[in-house]
Amino acid sequence: MRNGSKVKVTVFHCINVFSEGDSRLAAKGENVELKFVRLPCSSLVKDVFLLRAFEAGADAVVVLVCPEGACRYVEGNLRAKKRVQWVRSLLDEIGMDGNRLALFNLPPGDSSDAKPIIQKVLAQIGTTPQAELSDRPPAGQA
Amino acid sequence: MIVAEQKPMAEIKELVAPYKKVLILGCGTCVKTCFAGGEDEVAVMASALRLAFKVDGKEIHVEEQTVERQCEDEFIQESAPAIARNEAVLSLACGAGVQAMARRFKSTPLLPGVNTTFIGVLEKPGLFTEECSGCGDCKLAVFGGICPFTRCAKKLLNGPCGGSQNGKCEVSAETDCAWHLIIERLTALGQMDNLRTYIPPKNWRASLAAGPRRLFREDHVI
Ligand code: SF4
Ligand code: SF4
Repeated sequence: MRNGSKVKVTVFHCINVFSEGDSRLAAKGENVELKFVRLPCSSLVKDVFLLRAFEAGADAVVVLVCPEGACRYVEGNLRAKKRVQWVRSLLDEIGMDGNRLALFNLPPGDSSDAKPIIQKVLAQIGTTPQAELSDRPPAGQA
Repeated sequence: MIVAEQKPMAEIKELVAPYKKVLILGCGTCVKTCFAGGEDEVAVMASALRLAFKVDGKEIHVEEQTVERQCEDEFIQESAPAIARNEAVLSLACGAGVQAMARRFKSTPLLPGVNTTFIGVLEKPGLFTEECSGCGDCKLAVFGGICPFTRCAKKLLNGPCGGSQNGKCEVSAETDCAWHLIIERLTALGQMDNLRTYIPPKNWRASLAAGPRRLFREDHVI
């Protein structure tokens, strides 16, 4: 993890699933800076939005959606899931590690799960902040 | 429509690597419909390339534009100012679009960002299938509107092979047997007699015999 500075996590979430105030509290004490992008439905999380979050400096991007079968718009969260899977593969392809992007299903209105989620994502992205990616030797060279 | 798919990022990175300023040019017609090269795909490609080069510790300046149709000179003219600002163009159009661009912009390297794959349709969400080989001598009326030249793996013209099983082709369990479809449809149309006449081997002269084909419409020339 980056020494001194905070790890930046951008959270895209459906307004039906998550309250930002609670999540800020949940992240208190973590060495993390959260940024929120509210969406009227998680299906609106376009691939380019996820990539641009990384371009804007996010070390990790989290997409929070309703449980499967509970989307107010029927299949919005399934579409979000597919899109996240595709962007994860694209991130792997360009050497950025797809684990930096994750989608979680949360029960609507219950933000108590936020803290373990943030911790899980931070554990997943390991020790390399995005800003230091270019310091790594190119693939294939030790 | 012309169906295309985006090339792997590793190949695209290699193509654009010699250049510092690249225009990613989409096409708003066929390749947009098959999610390979419309405005949205241009935006994703631009973002992915910037990130990919950042990972490699290199810099690239990427500009984005999408024209209505890259295979028509009238539409590609509008990309001239953006082309003048860049060293190369990564085109997400089909091969015809890339070549139309190369014809007009003689001193700009044109890099193909997609593999142009076939003439086809959107069969169901997310699935595009090949339907026509552009043979130049269409016989769909005989075959009930299903093309055996394109959709039968063996290009059989006088009935199915022994590998047709439960409506599927022996070459792939995911592919409908074209001849199963032809017989089903001719039966429904009451036109099975179409198959009583001998259908001669396909004459490919109309497509493969004399190099690239030309179509000249004298009535459209002043
Ligand atoms: S007969 Fe020729 S033109 Fe007609 S659908 Fe088949 S390949 Fe295309
Ligand atoms: S199974 Fe049908 S589509 Fe496949 S090769 Fe035989 S006749 Fe052609």
